[in-house]
Amino acid sequence: MPPREDSSKVARRSTRFSSSSAAVENPEPNESHPPTIDDLTFGGESFPLDALLSDFPGRRSQILDLIRLMGPLDSPTLPVIVYGDASTGKTSLVLQVLRHLNRPFVYSSCRACYNPRVLFESILNQLLLHSKSSSNGYSSAKRCDKPSDFVNLLRQSLGNVMETLDSRSNGKPVGKMVYLVVDHLDLIKEWDKGAVILQFLFNLYSLLKMPQLGVILISGLPPDVYYSNMGYTDPIPLYFPEYSEDDLRQIFLKNQTNRKLYSAFLDVVLRPFSRVTRRVDELSTTFSSLFRKYCEPLDDLGVSPNEDLKRRLYSHLKPLLAPCLNEIFRVSSRSHDDERRQKKASYSSENREEVGVLDFHMSTSAKFLLIAAFLASRNPATLDASMFDSTGGMDNRKRKRKASEKSMEKKEIAEQEAVMKGPGSFPLERLLAIFQCIASVGDTSFGEEEEEEEGEATGYDREKTNLMSDILLQVSSLCDANLIIKSGSCPLEGTSRYRSMVSEDLALKVGKSLSFPLAKYLYRR
Amino acid sequence: MGKENPAEKSLNLIRGRLCDPTFVFRPLSSSSESNYSKLKFIVSNSITEGCNNSILLLGPRGSGKSAVLDLVVSDTLEEYPDSVSVIKLNGLLHSDDNCAFKEIARQLCMEHHLLFSKMASFDENSQFIIAMLRECGLAHKTIIFVLDEFDMFAQGKQRLLYSLLDAMQSVTSQAVVIGISSRLDADQLLEKRVRSRFSHRKILFLPPSREEIESLLEHLFSLPADSSFPIGYISQFSEKIKSITSDTRFKDMLRTFLNANSTVNSLVKFIFRAVSFMNMESGLLSLENFKAALSSMQRQPKLEAIRDCSVLELYLLVCMRRLEVKEQSSYNFISVMKEYKTIHDSFQTSDYYAQNVCLRAFEHLREREVISYAETRGQTQTGEYRPMKLLISASELHQGMRSHACCPAILVKLLDH
Repeated sequence: MPPREDSSKVARRSTRFSSSSAAVENPEPNESHPPTIDDLTFGGESFPLDALLSDFPGRRSQILDLIRLMGPLDSPTLPVIVYGDASTGKTSLVLQVLRHLNRPFVYSSCRACYNPRVLFESILNQLLLHSKSSSNGYSSAKRCDKPSDFVNLLRQSLGNVMETLDSRSNGKPVGKMVYLVVDHLDLIKEWDKGAVILQFLFNLYSLLKMPQLGVILISGLPPDVYYSNMGYTDPIPLYFPEYSEDDLRQIFLKNQTNRKLYSAFLDVVLRPFSRVTRRVDELSTTFSSLFRKYCEPLDDLGVSPNEDLKRRLYSHLKPLLAPCLNEIFRVSSRSHDDERRQKKASYSSENREEVGVLDFHMSTSAKFLLIAAFLASRNPATLDASMFDSTGGMDNRKRKRKASEKSMEKKEIAEQEAVMKGPGSFPLERLLAIFQCIASVGDTSFGEEEEEEEGEATGYDREKTNLMSDILLQVSSLCDANLIIKSGSCPLEGTSRYRSMVSEDLALKVGKSLSFPLAKYLYRR
Repeated sequence: MGKENPAEKSLNLIRGRLCDPTFVFRPLSSSSESNYSKLKFIVSNSITEGCNNSILLLGPRGSGKSAVLDLVVSDTLEEYPDSVSVIKLNGLLHSDDNCAFKEIARQLCMEHHLLFSKMASFDENSQFIIAMLRECGLAHKTIIFVLDEFDMFAQGKQRLLYSLLDAMQSVTSQAVVIGISSRLDADQLLEKRVRSRFSHRKILFLPPSREEIESLLEHLFSLPADSSFPIGYISQFSEKIKSITSDTRFKDMLRTFLNANSTVNSLVKFIFRAVSFMNMESGLLSLENFKAALSSMQRQPKLEAIRDCSVLELYLLVCMRRLEVKEQSSYNFISVMKEYKTIHDSFQTSDYYAQNVCLRAFEHLREREVISYAETRGQTQTGEYRPMKLLISASELHQGMRSHACCPAILVKLLDH
């Protein structure tokens, strides 16, 4: 959901999600208040078209299209599929149009309803005006997990709703239509037997043969991904394109107290950031914290900036922009870091130093294990002996062979293959062996290993026993953290194999934090 | 509510007509050659003669198979109210044999005012159905079984089909089985024991001819000449419709639309879209309405998806395309990143972002199904290492990038070589 929604609407949405029946008049859900037919509409004060249009900048044609497709009061409609990228305002727009038209509707999201049964029961609950509560043990009105039962029950309950809508005389006219809104249709594809359920939903309208039901499907994917060899008569498409830069500007300018200042801010940030992503939700998280940074030099936030001030603010923000563009979801923690670092009298231009700092805590042995796993995944097993012999590293060896054309080609192919294969897998024994080698190297300060060879060996023996039990625990906790994963067992040996999931950057960082010369041990082709 | 304006009223009327398939197919079934007449003849024949029958209705989706059947069924029910009962099943809902038997039993109980037990077992239900068939046969009552999505019933053991068709072999029963399918080879799916009991009678549904479409349009847009509309409005409206339908531009549009989708239902959808654009002030349709409808119905989702991409996402797509051109058999995110880096190194583009940002863009592309994993199994690797593939063709990518709002010129050049 885009964060720009006004709070009243969010509250309304959440009540619709949790219990379909919280009355509009009393804010806290009242158990004794029986749900009525009015709860199928938004109710409340009327919501004029102008407000709707200004609520959704850049969505004028979609709003008008949807209103036209739904038609005047009581006119039957063919099924509609609303599709477009994430965070283009599909759901909120459909719901707000229903609010504007004041039509009764049923909303179910396949995000919340994670299997057919929950989906069917949630639709039926809303239609039967049933609310889950402690008095009925949070059970649904009807138990229904098969499409065939659902169709029968839906027909029945729609008939009831129509009757009550017919007999209604007071209040605003809401018509004799009920709209069924099914959100996040694309998630059904992942369900067990999802293809059948999708077919069913696409054909629901023609199966029911009830013109009083309007079906609106909302999907993140275009309708062509749902084609299967069974075929279906597709609903009328309504496309929500990604926002253009101007639309984004209007969206972000909404609900801003100091529009002039924010507009100056957008002049700076919107263009570079919209090249990376045009999704409102992602941009807004970045912008909210960047704007705070932008305003830092200002005492008075109500000031309307002139050219000079704009330039000054820009130069303040500029060093932050480039790192921000290369970060995802981390801006807030970064600025937090910055504050801390500012106390230490350093400034954010020392970004490069920060690379060495890990942003999570890990014990030293876990770090060594991580590095060992990384090495075991990257290096071929045949090289272990030469890498970790007592002289350490293979830096003293130089490959003299001159690369011929053919061998270069071969090398390239091998490289490609390696990239495709990703990190290799290894048995636990190899991990432990490498771990012991590098831990011993790490313990001694590097370069003096020759002299300390003997002393080292004794300490190493002493440590060995208590190390082992501890280390196995660490391995399993690294597995839990998904830094190492257990991949299938080896068919010959029957033991399970492991695989390191750590990127090279992270491994180098960990190495640096231990002042361990990792690069030296990495085999490069 | 009493006095709506005529525009809204006529809009409601036409929309109601478009959403009612029986109304749409009524004029198409008047001639004696039509499928309606053929089907009607067979059904009423088997009712009057008291014999068993089985028919398949075949045709593409939206060609009006079930609508015509509905017309036939409602007309026969009117003609012989006491000697027909209809059982409707749908392959989408009842392809499971157990469920199908239950549903038949339920509908039979409803029809004959018997008590239906939800707990009845499969055997009990099938015995009940056989008994009911016999009883109905003795009472000279025909049961019409409508099996929509017939091909779905032909999956699995086909027990339903077998027991229905087998029961029909006896002299006492009196039933008609009508299968509806969009698969032309639906009867080839049947098992031998089922096929031998099936009469291979098929009715094919073809796309409408030009005359039929003209009569359909006239039928849809004619307003009733009773007192509910102002006289002036009716003549104005029909004049406007006449001028539109006789316009060559309209005929061209209709032809382009029918070239892509030739079934009646897609035509109905097109008209529905056009009607929804109706000017509510004058209450009249115009040629522009149809033009707007045509452009909104002819979508190119892949091009739209590319136009939705950000510049970084376009870069990734171009990199993947370049890898494909290089005949690299398979590639993953890491190799795409390598290509991205070489492009950056040789052209010094302004759009070079860190790997995690690219990974996010990559995931966006995958969510949008512009790209996907090449193989679904083998999920031991993380996403970066799994082989990928493009789900769009080179020409689509080309076209999409040229119509993109802010695609850098260098990218188009990079795509070519």
